[in-house]
Formats: sequence, C-alpha cells, structure tokens
Amino acid sequence: MLSHLHITARQWRTALKWTLYAASLLLTMILQTVILAKHPPLGLKLNPVPLLLVCVCVREGPEGGGLFALLSALFWCLSGADYGNLSVAILPVGAILSAVLCRSVLTTRFFPTFLCCLVVSAIHDSVIFCLKLLLAAGSPAYYTAVVLPGILLSMVLMPLIYLLVKAVHKTGGSYDL
Amino acid sequence: MKKHFSARAKWLIVIAILLAMGITVFHAVSTRRPGQTVVQTILAPFRSAGSTLVRQVERYYDYVFQYESLQAENKALREQIMAMEEDVRSADSLQRENERLHQLLGLVEEHKDYKRKAAYIISWNGSNWKSAFTIDKGTGSGIEEGMVAITEYGQVVGLVTESGPNWSTVTTVLDSALGISASVASSGYTGKVEGALATGSEGLLRMNYLPTDSVLRNNDQVLTTGSTVYPRGLIIGYITNAGFDETGVAKYALLRPAADLDNLEQVFIITDYEN
Repeated sequence: MLSHLHITARQWRTALKWTLYAASLLLTMILQTVILAKHPPLGLKLNPVPLLLVCVCVREGPEGGGLFALLSALFWCLSGADYGNLSVAILPVGAILSAVLCRSVLTTRFFPTFLCCLVVSAIHDSVIFCLKLLLAAGSPAYYTAVVLPGILLSMVLMPLIYLLVKAVHKTGGSYDL
Repeated sequence: MKKHFSARAKWLIVIAILLAMGITVFHAVSTRRPGQTVVQTILAPFRSAGSTLVRQVERYYDYVFQYESLQAENKALREQIMAMEEDVRSADSLQRENERLHQLLGLVEEHKDYKRKAAYIISWNGSNWKSAFTIDKGTGSGIEEGMVAITEYGQVVGLVTESGPNWSTVTTVLDSALGISASVASSGYTGKVEGALATGSEGLLRMNYLPTDSVLRNNDQVLTTGSTVYPRGLIIGYITNAGFDETGVAKYALLRPAADLDNLEQVFIITDYEN
C-alpha cells in the first residue's frame, strides 16, 4: 500500500514518530493549561513543556531534536505563553546543548537527561524572572516561594515524559510493515 | 563533542536567537498577532474538548467521593433555609418599604443596561507570571478586546485582552498588568486597584493612591468607579489590610478579590452597557 503513496517504510516510520512527538507536545500543552493550571498541585503551576523538548532532543539528537524543539517553542510562544519570545531562544538552545552534552560527554539515559531538564527549566524560568524583576513587576521573595519550588515540582513529571519519549522513539523505530 | 555539535545544530541555535529577537521586535512595534490568532484558533477545539472532559471527570469524582459531605451540607442548608424563611417573612415588609424609598429617590435598578454573553473557561495560563484564562467564545460571538468579564453576581473577574474567532483571553484582576479605578463603597475614597501577582502578596489585589488620612476598615467593599472600560458599581473586592506605601505619603489597601477565581467555570462578558 505504501508503494502507491511513493514513500518507503523508513520514511513512513520517521513520519509516524514525529507525528507522535507532535501529539505528545499537544497533550503536554493541554495537560499544562487545562488540568495543571486549574488545579495547581501545592498551589504551584508546573511547566512540563521544557522537559518534553529536552527529552526529545536528547533522544533524537541535536539536529532533528533541535528542529523539533525550535518549532515546538515557536508553537508554544504563538499559543499565548508568557514571555514566549524568550522561550523561542532559551528552549531550543538549551535542548540542543543538552543533546550535545549527553551524547558526547554523558549518556542519553534517565539521570543525565533528568539533570539537563532541570538545568534548562531552571535557566528558562530564572531568565524570565530576572526580566520581570528588571521591569519591576516581581519581588525576589516570589522566586524562592513560587518559581523555584515550581521548577522542582515540575521534575516530578519528568519520569513520565521520559518514558513517553522513549516509547515514541521505540515505536517509530520498530514499526514493522 | 565537535562530532555531535554539527554545523546544522549551530545554525539552529542562530535561527532560534534571531527568531526570538524578531518576535520581540515585532511585538514592540505592532499590536497585531496574526500567528497567535491562527495557533489559538487551532488549539481552541482541543482545549475545549479537554476542558469538557475534565469537567465531566470532576462531576463524576464529586458524585462518587463527596456524596457524604454533600449529604451533610444538604442537611445544614435545610436548617439554614428554615431560619432564612423566618427572616424572609420579616424582610418582605422591609423590602416593600425599600422599594418605595427607591422610587421616591428616583433610583434606577442597577446593571439593567448590561448586555452579557456567557462563556466557559477552557484553559488557564500555565505559567507563574500571569493570571489569565481562555474562554470558548470570541469575535464570532461579539466578544472583543477591552470587554469586562464578571461573575453571575456582578463581581469583576478581569478584562478581555486578546480575542480570536472562537476564543478570547481574559486577564484576571490578580494580574499586575491590569489597573482599575475604584472607590471604597462605605467612605467614597478613590484609588487604583492593581493585581499583586509576583509581588509577594499572591492572591490579593492592591488599591493604591488612597488619601493619607483615609480611614479604612476590614471587609469594606471596593467598587469600580466607572470608566470607558469598566461600568460603574461592579464589586472588585474586600479590604483585608492597609498601610502606607513606599513613599510614606499615600495609603494603600490590600483586597481579597470578590470573585472566587480558583473555582470559576463560567464567566459573563459585558458586551455593551450605557456609559
């Protein structure tokens, strides 16, 4: 059947994999804005999108994963995310550097990916907080009371996202026609 | 390291930075958001479906796990109704007297001129930087930027700050970006109410520029004074604390929002009113 569509099995597998990644992003965004933002655990709003982008980038490499991170960050920015313009720069750059670091110095297993996610999330939220502070629209106490605990609590979702990305990677790779 | 840090990866980094700069410049020079309108319009049905699903799950959860507490609440409410019926009987005569006095003073019924549009909340802003939510109605239903969102009790929820064909973003009163001219109902002192998000008084509002000699009492009601955006007489909140601002010249008051923003499901947008 695929021969009628003029695509090879390998191309089909790749397309399926990236479609599933895109669906994961959509699901994560809905989870964040519809469920977690309405019922914030411990009163803190969690931010799982950076975790997903870093996980995908580490798993797929700095080129494919980096492009996905860039497009996803752009989509996230256009969906009305606050300071989305900063996210467009910080998230892809953070994800690409994480992928390079994991693949060359560390490994792509859970713990190094977890560390990279934590660092990228912390940098992302801290840069936005600093900007808010510069614009005199925030207080330092807010960082320790809300922002930092929010980053740490978001990491609770990391194993789930890691397993999801691993499963998508595996499904895409092991698809047999 | 060099093997993995290819030229393509470097190019992606450069593109990301340029794109971020481009978006920042575009947002600074233009108020139009064509990309955002398209993406939000695409996302609206997904958010709407997700929100409906969550509401159904919440209802099922409430039914299963809160049956006993609802039964107890029902009993307490029945007792309360009995007591209130007694009060109503005596209030009826007072009500008739009140109506007569109103007519005598030539007062008109408040908020009769409002044209409202009901809308459901489909998603909340997911960040800690902003207090806003998205509703399932937009320009297609006559909702535009600058319209006020209220509860069914006339409590101010926020302002429509963005609008698309089937969605609108409402920035709540808790957000520090909003400023509302307001007055204390009991004393008439006027000031400006702003959200206190990210300033260390989360969940509260701050009424600034109150006179130095103003006397404020806890639970005093704060209402909108009326402007081109906010109709007059909407309830913003209740005073919980007061003090002098950083300059030591003007007073400020902290308010508890009148609307229960944590448990909102539906809001009403005032699409038109007699100014």
